[in-house]
Amino acid sequence: MAPLSVYRGAELQQVLKLLQDHQGKVCIIAGGTDIILKLREKKLEPEVLLDISGINELKGISEYSKQLADTGLDGLKRITEQTMIKIGAGVTFSEIAKSPFFSQNLKGLADAALSVGSPQIRNAATIGGNICNASPAADIIPVLLALEAEAIVRSREKEETMSLQGFILDKGSVKLLPNQLLCSIAFSSLKENQSLGFAKLGLRKALAISRIAVAAFVEVGDNAFKNVRLASGACGKIPKREYEVEACLEGKAINDGSIEAAAELFKQVLKERLRGRSGAEYKGEAVKGVFKEALRKALGYQNI
Amino acid sequence: MKEISLRVNGEERSAEIHEEMRLLDLLRDALHLTGTKEGCGEGECGACTVIMEGKTVNSCMVMAFQAEGKEIITIEGMATKDKLHPIQRAFLEKGAVQCGFCIPGMVLSAKVLLDENPIPTRDEIREGISGNLCRCTGYNKIVDAIETAAGYLNTGGDSNA
Ligand code: FES
Ligand code: FES
Repeated sequence: MAPLSVYRGAELQQVLKLLQDHQGKVCIIAGGTDIILKLREKKLEPEVLLDISGINELKGISEYSKQLADTGLDGLKRITEQTMIKIGAGVTFSEIAKSPFFSQNLKGLADAALSVGSPQIRNAATIGGNICNASPAADIIPVLLALEAEAIVRSREKEETMSLQGFILDKGSVKLLPNQLLCSIAFSSLKENQSLGFAKLGLRKALAISRIAVAAFVEVGDNAFKNVRLASGACGKIPKREYEVEACLEGKAINDGSIEAAAELFKQVLKERLRGRSGAEYKGEAVKGVFKEALRKALGYQNI
Repeated sequence: MKEISLRVNGEERSAEIHEEMRLLDLLRDALHLTGTKEGCGEGECGACTVIMEGKTVNSCMVMAFQAEGKEIITIEGMATKDKLHPIQRAFLEKGAVQCGFCIPGMVLSAKVLLDENPIPTRDEIREGISGNLCRCTGYNKIVDAIETAAGYLNTGGDSNA
């Protein structure tokens, strides 16, 4: 095997060029919290290790405005402006947990970031790394799925935007060509009647490798669930949307009855999915509590 | 091999590193700063904690080459020539040290915690050291020591009481 060479990327263009020129031989490292173990266990044996933790273009959380074209019922095209929130792939969990963007309605995102690892891990681990490793227990992914986030990917030639759901292919694999880099994650900012909650069942707070996590996006109107998006972590091979449970809540009045019925359905869905695997019974029961807590938190973040 | 330079405990240092080295190996083997300990080597125990650019990290989870140009503080950088840092003094006074293996990391986590939050609650202290495992003390005396240290630092850090 060729000896390992190591580079510290200083600029995005330079990194994209290295990826282009050494396709398939480069392993990207940012926070290092997953990659270093894999290197030491020889699960990864790249020729080039490329550090992107110093690249400014991958840092920072910001807002921008995106124009959406849609056709109304009258058949006329309209352009609406949508405010988007963008998180650079190199943003750490500590930075997410402390960001003023993720207070109030979006506090679920800070809660999810804070539930990861220990302070030391959160100071190093990045959102981009967490996504690209696509572990079943990647805690940040369920909240991003519930927000219908998109992944912004670049190669030397072009930038591409795709849904995060489409980006995550399978356990440990994402839709990234050898010459591409995940640069940021973006999602629509929330309106006043929308909010995000997150809850997780872990072994202990610091270092809990996620057992079960649920993220709940809710839009409320007339004391009912107008729109609900749920996603789970560690409830299958990869974090996923829970459409069946969403459908069971949509349009329902917000009360214990509707929430309990959805929790019961969640349990059945999960038991079915995990049938024959160890812990199916336990996880089915546990998900009810985690789901209800996520939903309660989401409602709480808009004082309902 | 590769030559890198960085600032360690306020001094400009340079070292020859192997590409596979971690920051932990650089500190211990190349710079002989053996106060930083290796426990698990997997990012779980915090024995290898150092402060990099003002934030705690596990030095077993950082590659040495990534530390190029960075500002690092290790436990050796806490005391001055003839005086312990108030956090170290509080650890001794409160009997918070048993075997001592976790203590360098604990002290550095405590430093960053107190830099950011000078009057933490006991819960905040526990959260602040939640990435540092101790197999000996049961943590209570460590939390006591950090509370005491907060008092020393808030009164100028020099009280010898
Ligand atoms: S030795 Fe680094 S965290 Fe245990
Ligand atoms: S004093 Fe022994 S590990 Fe903490």
